[in-house]
Amino acid sequence: MTYTLATGSPEETRAFAQRLGALLQPGDVLVLAGEMGAGKTAFTKGVALALGIEEQVASPTFTIVREYAASIPLVHVDVYRLDHVQELHDLGLDDLLGEEAITVVEWGDKVSAALPGDRLDIRIEFGEGDDDRVFTIDCAGTSWVARRDAIAALASER
Amino acid sequence: MLVLALDTATELVSVAIGRDGAVLGAVQLAGGRRHAEQLAPAIEYLLRETGVHQDQLAAIAVGKGPGLFTGLRVGVTTAKVMAQALRIPVVAIPTLDLVAYPLRHTSRLIVAVLDARRKEVFHAGYHSVPGGVQRAWDYRVGTPAELVADLETHTGPILLAGDGVARFRDVFAELEHAETAGAEHSTPSVAALVELASARMEREEFEQPWDVHPLYLRQSDAEIEWDRRGL
Repeated sequence: MTYTLATGSPEETRAFAQRLGALLQPGDVLVLAGEMGAGKTAFTKGVALALGIEEQVASPTFTIVREYAASIPLVHVDVYRLDHVQELHDLGLDDLLGEEAITVVEWGDKVSAALPGDRLDIRIEFGEGDDDRVFTIDCAGTSWVARRDAIAALASER
Repeated sequence: MLVLALDTATELVSVAIGRDGAVLGAVQLAGGRRHAEQLAPAIEYLLRETGVHQDQLAAIAVGKGPGLFTGLRVGVTTAKVMAQALRIPVVAIPTLDLVAYPLRHTSRLIVAVLDARRKEVFHAGYHSVPGGVQRAWDYRVGTPAELVADLETHTGPILLAGDGVARFRDVFAELEHAETAGAEHSTPSVAALVELASARMEREEFEQPWDVHPLYLRQSDAEIEWDRRGL
């Protein structure tokens, strides 16, 4: 099932991510797709807020992976600087996926074959206005089927 | 002939010192992801308590995976560096073999299953042969459901072992003709590593440190297509 939702500002994006973040469970993998400036990091900030992470969340473009401690930890990945899928394996990311943490992968659509099939795919596209964004959420992952209704409710909230 | 044996391909750090195939001392630590912090002190402790000087070692034996990436790197690198510094060879044994070997006295198909994270398992099947086990298929990574589907075509009795079985208990419970080995068989046996490595040393089947490579089953030669980058 695919759901769409529109936001009109970075604050709204963050608030939406925060509501979605409240649905997350340990082991979840979120794959974020969207061009530079689309709001992938703003979205991740909202997820971090939902997990009670007070640390400043910045895109780990140069560190590639950053872990945030919380009762459910957050693993924030940005594959933008990688050239080969193998680099993702060489980072030891496989050890972190699908365990106690929630993993958010920016530009994850570029390496989707190397990521678990059970995941939530979120595409962020530019809308009409400068701050308008359209989110397309694909709940194909097996553990997401049970949460489809909750995500549908989020998407229709606006 | 003295051997230092170590395996860090699972959540555990396992170290032993063996003489002629028998364990003189062994340490096993369950520290999660603390392999790098725990391995060297464990080696140091064992050498001291067994009264073995590192110059007396004839070889370093290491579990070469498949296993969890971070730990596996720590173990294989430590083995290579020590062997190179001491000018002794390495005997690298697949970690799944270290799960299967202690079960070699069964006539059932032995299936070693280790948690591979991301909801997958590393596995291999083994048959008993005189003096050991022989692999029935190549080392693989896949979902527990795929493995169960493969095993359903096997009509004979099956013995499952390794931490991946307990981790995905519900999936493996669907298998008929299958039994899970006791909890002591859920982790790779460092005693098996000592025994197998000593036998290899006697046959002079060892490797030079620079020839040793971990067994990674998740490999990719794909380039990432960055059609939009650089705009």
